[in-house]
Parts: sequence; structure tokens; C-alpha cells
Amino acid sequence: MDSLSPAISVRDLRKQYGNKAAVDGLSLTVPRGCFFGFLGPNGAGKSTTIRMLTGLIPPTSGSIELLGMPLPDQALEIKKRIGLVPDESLLFDRLTGGEFLEFVGRMYGLPRQVARERSRELLELFELHESGRKLIAEYSKGMRKRVAMAASLIHHPDLFLMDEPFEGVDAVGARLMKDILLDQVRRGATIFLTSHVLEVVERLCDRVAIINDGKIVTEGTLAELRAGSETLEDVFVRVVGAERAFERLEWL
Amino acid sequence: MAVIGAILWAQWKSIRLLRFGASKRGALFSTITSLLWYGFWAVAAAGLAGFAADPSLQQDVELLFPAVLIFVIVYWQLAPILMASLGASLDLKKLLAYPIPTSNLFWVEVMLRVTTGIEMILMLTGAAIGLIRSPAFGGWARAPRIIAPLVVFIVFNLLMAAGVRGVVERLLGRKHLREIFVLVVVMLGALPQLLFVTGVPKGTMQRLISPDSSVLWPWIAGSRIPLHGSTLSPWLVLFGWTLLAYYFGRWQFESNLRFDSQAAQATTYTAAALGEDSWRTRLFRLPSAFLPDPVAAIVEKELRTLSRTPRFRLVFIMGFTFGLVVWLPLILGSRPDRPSATIDNFLTLVCLYALALLGQVTYWNSFGFDRSAAQAYFVWPSPISRALVGKNLAAGIFVMLEILAVTTACFLLRMQPSPYKLLEAYLVTPVVAIYLFAAGNLSSVHMPRPLTPERAAQGGAAGRSQAFMLFVYPVAILPVGLAYGARYAFDSELAFYAILAFAAALGALVYWLSLESAVAAAERRREQIITELSRSEGPVATE
Repeated sequence: MDSLSPAISVRDLRKQYGNKAAVDGLSLTVPRGCFFGFLGPNGAGKSTTIRMLTGLIPPTSGSIELLGMPLPDQALEIKKRIGLVPDESLLFDRLTGGEFLEFVGRMYGLPRQVARERSRELLELFELHESGRKLIAEYSKGMRKRVAMAASLIHHPDLFLMDEPFEGVDAVGARLMKDILLDQVRRGATIFLTSHVLEVVERLCDRVAIINDGKIVTEGTLAELRAGSETLEDVFVRVVGAERAFERLEWL
Repeated sequence: MAVIGAILWAQWKSIRLLRFGASKRGALFSTITSLLWYGFWAVAAAGLAGFAADPSLQQDVELLFPAVLIFVIVYWQLAPILMASLGASLDLKKLLAYPIPTSNLFWVEVMLRVTTGIEMILMLTGAAIGLIRSPAFGGWARAPRIIAPLVVFIVFNLLMAAGVRGVVERLLGRKHLREIFVLVVVMLGALPQLLFVTGVPKGTMQRLISPDSSVLWPWIAGSRIPLHGSTLSPWLVLFGWTLLAYYFGRWQFESNLRFDSQAAQATTYTAAALGEDSWRTRLFRLPSAFLPDPVAAIVEKELRTLSRTPRFRLVFIMGFTFGLVVWLPLILGSRPDRPSATIDNFLTLVCLYALALLGQVTYWNSFGFDRSAAQAYFVWPSPISRALVGKNLAAGIFVMLEILAVTTACFLLRMQPSPYKLLEAYLVTPVVAIYLFAAGNLSSVHMPRPLTPERAAQGGAAGRSQAFMLFVYPVAILPVGLAYGARYAFDSELAFYAILAFAAALGALVYWLSLESAVAAAERRREQIITELSRSEGPVATE
């Protein structure tokens, strides 16, 4: 394991479903300590990429290295150092928020007392302590995202893989989550995040890649991507080739 | 009609993807088990047709026809409840968002009640064919007179079943009430058997099913028209009952529309109950005192989640009530001068029955209640084998608790088993459990299926797992059966315990081998497992 190696290094990654390539020859390098935004329209292949990076689904071909270690050869070592906020919830609905956080801590090998202590602190940090005794099944969508993010932090990971972490979170919660993530980057962690909220990406990310139809269509720092006075939204619409199709529908 | 068509079309699309897209083998097994089950009822219906068509048995037919109709009513209305599987129904949570008139939804729901009564439709068809063929009851010329009242009788049952389902669904949706309800139903389910064995009110039962009984009963009215010709009063009675069933069904359906299941299931855990020092928390943490993490964490998580899962709690209660009730009449009806293997091994039999019942909610489909969250086991830095072992240990703890509950119930009923029989039950059940857990680990990774924790009456396994279970249960019991065989053949307790010990050792080996195989399969099939467990249903929920 090399501490200078990139946090994420992906070469010619492909995921084929029948005759459709969800991810089609994707190559990507994310340096350590980077806040990386991974954007793309719905169905572009973002979640499939994250699921391959977490080892949930095997790629059809290509190679993945995380934190200098190859996947799947060193899967367990890699998993110990990853914090994950997935699109579909990893939450166990019949546990309370506090119980879930402690459980996750123990799954990552934290001593029981430490896991219990951290779960209590995280509940407070994410302002869930008052709901900490409710079952997760009764949480709102935003609360579920908050507890999922809290769980991703409990073992102090070096790399975060986050799929739409701000979806359904209120403004106060989102602000808190952004501050925590920026703090994680300041301490040297790497964040790989997908989001449809382009303002969030614009505010947080150092580098951005846009994926469309399973292929990277552009990548670089925000300054490199924005030509002149373009916003990230303008860049996004331009590179994914969105049309104003609704203008053709007269009845609409 | 367009709305009904759209609902059925959406359901067909959902089923088609589920059945044929994901697993052709599953569809094949499902078809085979369905053929076997309905084949059995078709044979029974053919027997009924032969019986009804025989002119020499005219008097017997007249005598027994009301009993057949009572059986149809009882089966159609009670069997789904006793099997904790209420058949297909509309998923109102999804459909209420659309502008569909209530009456349309109601009639779809009524039609779906056919799913719990196909067996009875077969029986009534058999009876109708037999009566038409019989010269004693009129032949083909009187076919309309025979068929029409039976069709009305079917409609009556469909409407009644829609109402009963509504009541049951709401009761099962209420915390605590549902557990009491299950107990009452279990007791009611055992009542006929108990009455039959004890023979107390035989006369009353005979009067109730006698053809000379009051025409005001629907089974009497329903049998008089095809057997004795059309007169106004039985028709009026039959239509009256059908109208009543319609109002009952509609009333219950609309009550269900207004029912807020989420509010009814909301937790009211007090801070004290969930606090660090509460007895509940200490109990859940107990396994962690003996086991290392992550296995301990998984056991603890399973104990917490399963004990809060309505579906699990229901099955757990059924394990020590229904099991006792099924076997109890045999004990009560036994004669002290006649020794019987069933009576001798009563406690062990009930424990094994409870073990089988727990299978659906624990070891056969270990990841079922986790649904899409099961992907966490592939993300965390811990081998999947630990998750399976943790889940098996939790299931084992519940099996032991179940045996304890059965034993307590036996003592409360003053059926005090001897210390030897107690020991036997406590040894035999875990040995069988090892084999079942071994098979369960394989089925959990090869045939995973999402389960809804809140849906107390969700149906059992899919066709393929049902076929697998049918195969596994006898195999799992075989080593223990050999121990009983040795006891019988050699008349020796030593032989029994020696073979039981051998069965346990063999079980441990089988468990270890199956775990290895399940882990390899889980790694290979993780994508399919996650996909299967993340699947949601169509507008009609199959229960």
C-alpha cells in the first residue's frame, strides 16, 4: 500500500447488462485529499460505478484500485477504510438510530465501548439524539440520510463514497453535513460524491467528472470546466446534450 | 373496467419479471408445487363428483351436501388465517394515490379472494358435475337449477372473504392486538378438532348440518335448491346472505381504506425501555458477553430486529400455541391403556413443529427482513460467513426460547413431561436445527426473497424454496429418526443417545460444509442476491 497512490484509480471499467453497457470503459483518477464530484443525468452509470467501487457488484472488465490496493484482491482491507452513503439504504429499519450506529461501529471492528460512545456523539452531532430512540423505519428520508452519513463516519475512514448524500435533507442538515465533509477533507480524507444539486457540487468540489451513457464526457477542476461565465449547470447541460424536447409537445 | 384492467396488467408485468425474468427454475418449481396441490384438490373434486353422481347414494348425498357447503365456508374464511397467508390483495398504499373509484377497487379485491378459495371452487364444480350427472337429481335438464345457486354461494363466499380479510388485516396491523387475535384464532381453529375428539356436542353439530335444519342457514339454503328444486324461500335466504356479505365486505374494505397502519404500528418505546440499563437492553446484550464481534454484533442486531418484527412475533407465538393445539386433541382423546408414540414424544413433536414454523422467518431466508440493507454485509470488512453464523446463532436462541415456551405451556396445561422427555426435547430439537440451519444457509443465498416485517400475514416461501423445504425436512429429520429407530429396535436408551450424538457430530460437519458452500455462492451471486432482496411488488401484494 502506497500513501502517495491516488485514492481511486479506475482503468477501462465496464459493466454490461445484457446488450447495454451501464458503464462503458470508464477511466478515472481521484487524488488523495480531493473532494471529487461525479455528475451525470439519471441512468448515466453513477450508482453502478459506486456499487462497483464498493465491491457490491463485480465489473464485467477493467481494474479498480482504492487507496493503492486492488479490488477485489484486498477487499477486506479496503472496506475497513471506506465510508459509504449508498443510494439504496443500508439501514436496518428495526433498529433505533443509536443501535444502528453502534452496530456499524462494531462491524468495523471498534471496541464495543468506543462504538457506543461514538454512536452517542454522532447522534448528537447530527441532531438525531431526540429521535435516537425511534426505529429507523419511522425516520423521514432526510433523517435516514443523516443517520447513514453518521454511520459512514463512525470508523474514521480515509475514503468516502457517497451517492446523493443530500437528497431529502433539509437546509440545516445539509449545511451541517457539508461542514463535516469539508472538515474530513481538511484532515486528509478523500470524498467521491454524486449529486444532482449542482450548487452543492460547485461549492464543495475541487474536481468534477461528468458521465453520460456510461462514459466520462468531461473531467477537470471547476475552473477548467467552466469556459468564461458559464455555470456548472450550463456545462452540464452542454456536455450531456440535453434538448428542450417538451417544446415539441404541443398539448403540454 | 379500464382501471381494473390497468391494475391487472401492472400486476402481470410485475409477476412476469419476478417469475420468468429472474428464475426459470423458480417458476418451474412453483408450477410443480401448484400442480401437486391443486391436483390433490382436483382428485378430491372428482371423488365428490363420482359420489354425487351415484343414484344409489342419493340419501347419503342429501345428508352430506350441507356439510360440504359448511366445509367450503369454513375453509374459505378460516384457512388463510390459520396458515397466516391471506392471499393476494390490493396494495392500497400504492393505489390510493390515483383517482380510482372505491367501488372499482372493492370489486378487484373481491375477485382476488378467488386466490384463497380455488380449492373450494374445484370442490363445488365437482359437486355440481356430480349432481348434473345423477338421474336422481335431475340430469342435464336441471343444470341451471344446480349451477345457479352454487354460483351465488361462491359470490357469497367471495364477498364474505373480502370482509373477513379486511377485519383480519386491521387486527394484524395493530400492535399487541394482533398477538391476542392470533391466540384467539388458534384456539378457534382447534375447537372443531377438540369437539370432535371429546365428542361433547356431537348432537348439536349433527343438527347444524342436518338437511332438516332451518333453511335460514346459507348452507341449508344452498343445498336445498340443487337437491330439491327451486322454491322461493331458499333463494331469498341465499340472496339475503349474499347481500349481507356484500355490506360486510364493503364496510370492512372502506374501513381499511381509512385505516392508518403506520399510526397503529408506531412504536411507543419509552426512554426507560431502550435505556442502557433497561432489562430489555441487558437481555439483548447478553450474547455479546460470550461472543466476539462481529458475530456478537450480528446476533444482538438479529435479536433486537426480530423481536420487533410483527411477522416474526406472530410466527413465534404460533410456534408454541398452534403446535400444542394441533397435538393436544390426540392427547385428550387417547386411552391410558394404549401406548402411543405420538403421546410419548408429544413435547419433542411440538418443539420440532415450532422449529419448522420458525424457519420461514429465520433460517430459510436469513436476509429476507433485511431486504436491500443486506448489501451492507458485502460492504463491511467482515466475511459473509460471520453474518450467516450470527444469524444462525440468533435463530438458535429463538428456537431455545420457543422450546422453553412450549415446555411452560405444557406445565400450565398440567401435562407434565418427565425429566427424561424434557432432556430429549432439548437435545433432539437442536440436532435437527443444525441440519435445517445448514440447508437454510444455502437457500438464503440461492433463493433470497424480500420479506415485509410489518406485513404480519405475508405468505411463506416461493415455489422453489417450498420444493426445497419439502425435500430437506425429511432429510434433516432422518438422523434423529435413526436414533428413535435404534431405541425401538434395541430397546435401549444408550443406543438412542449414542446415535443422537453421532447425528449431532454429523450435523456439525454438514453445517460446516454447507457454510463454506453458501459463502462461495454468496460471493459469486452477490449481485443477484442484492437485486432479489431489493425487489418491490406490483399493485397487488401477494401474501
